[in-house]
Amino acid sequence: MTKRNYEPKPLFLERMKSLLGKDFQNYLDMLKKEPPRSFRCNTLKISVENLKKRLEEKGWKIKQPFKAFSEVMILASELQPGELGRALEHLLGYYYIQEIASMLPVLTLLPEEDERVLDLCASPGSKTTQIAARMNNKGLLIANEVKFGRIKILSANTERCGVANSVITKRDGIALCKRFKEENFLFDKILLDAPCSGEGTFRSAPKGLEMWNIKTIENLSKLQKALVASAIEILKPGGELVYSTCTHAPEENEEVIDFALKSFDVQIEKINLPIECREGITEWNGKSYSPDVKKSCRIYPQDNDTEGFFIAKLKKIGDRK
Amino acid sequence: MIPLRFFNETEKEKMLKQLKQQFGIRELPFELARLGKERIVVFSGNISGREILNLDEIAHIEGIGLYFAKEQADGIRLSIEGSQLLKSQITKNIFELDEKQSEQWMMGQEISVKTDKKGFFVMKFKNDFLGTGKISENRITNFVPKQRRLKNKEN
Repeated sequence: MTKRNYEPKPLFLERMKSLLGKDFQNYLDMLKKEPPRSFRCNTLKISVENLKKRLEEKGWKIKQPFKAFSEVMILASELQPGELGRALEHLLGYYYIQEIASMLPVLTLLPEEDERVLDLCASPGSKTTQIAARMNNKGLLIANEVKFGRIKILSANTERCGVANSVITKRDGIALCKRFKEENFLFDKILLDAPCSGEGTFRSAPKGLEMWNIKTIENLSKLQKALVASAIEILKPGGELVYSTCTHAPEENEEVIDFALKSFDVQIEKINLPIECREGITEWNGKSYSPDVKKSCRIYPQDNDTEGFFIAKLKKIGDRK
Repeated sequence: MIPLRFFNETEKEKMLKQLKQQFGIRELPFELARLGKERIVVFSGNISGREILNLDEIAHIEGIGLYFAKEQADGIRLSIEGSQLLKSQITKNIFELDEKQSEQWMMGQEISVKTDKKGFFVMKFKNDFLGTGKISENRITNFVPKQRRLKNKEN
């Protein structure tokens, strides 16, 4: 059982209250609950039906919350701590333990076979392996990670999941995009699951409540804008970029999308996800964002019994404005 | 620079011949490349070998494709994923584990067996292909990597 009695910082509470209004208490109540244990069937190795049957034969109760995405599964029975990760089916790569909200960026990107896809900040590989499965191991998937230690985790996960269409690279994301741009190496789709302050993960990692600070958010916002700008530059015309974070801070979300909309010839696309999404906000701390930012998706823990996330989808029309 | 070299047709044919002899494999419907001295990877990405070398200059490639097998002096040892990829074709040198042995195998333990078989065998339990072991002198040498091992027995 995760220790949950961490004291949130007053400024964090104030900001969340500002974002949520009347719903603030529901949010706080949800933070006290462990998120459901979810995982994703790795269709590169086993069919959804076969995995479900196998796990049910072990006595596990499995729910599939989304009809259109039957690979998404929730464990509805009690297991011993760590049992989900220790199971043979996990070790053989038949499923990947992944929080439901974390599966949504790829369900927004919807990569297809034969596309050229970049996962710019890829480790630990949950979304990389999900992308590869949706591409049926075809096309080309470049998974980049800047930190050496995290490359090992990424490699281990892609191997366990049987990913064969990927190239793993190790470069700073901004420098990598610059080199791709110089070589005119362009992508059909890019996932930018940006490094973030992680406010959305406080249910499963409540220790983060104590580590939260506004300076981190401000610094990350600068990095995220630089990353999104670099990534847009290497999209093919008509190509799509999904920007996601696991945080609620508008500086790391709507502000980044607003920057992209104002700086580049891109349009924001409407997102259709099988969960409750709240629209992006257009004002924060005296700043106004483009009304189009409303097409972003804010996912709060209390709305779907998940972690928190932010997702936006941009389509490239032309080059820099 | 990544020590990667794609197989040409001759090398692929040689590999297929060896795999046919060892496990009954009839076709290898994917690109193979040698990574370093012994490791062989499967790569299904639609990018040419020349473009990969170019990509390495741009992006510092750390890994590519899927670890498929290791080529050793005494034969080819399929990885867990290699055995899973070829499972529908493997007809020879399969060692069927019982439940207890499969647990031991996945825990990384050597397995004691009374058999006159020798050499590399694909380990199988029910429908699961669990990589390759080497049978010699009444035991099966285990090659399950540490991070893929069961920590304790399944319930």
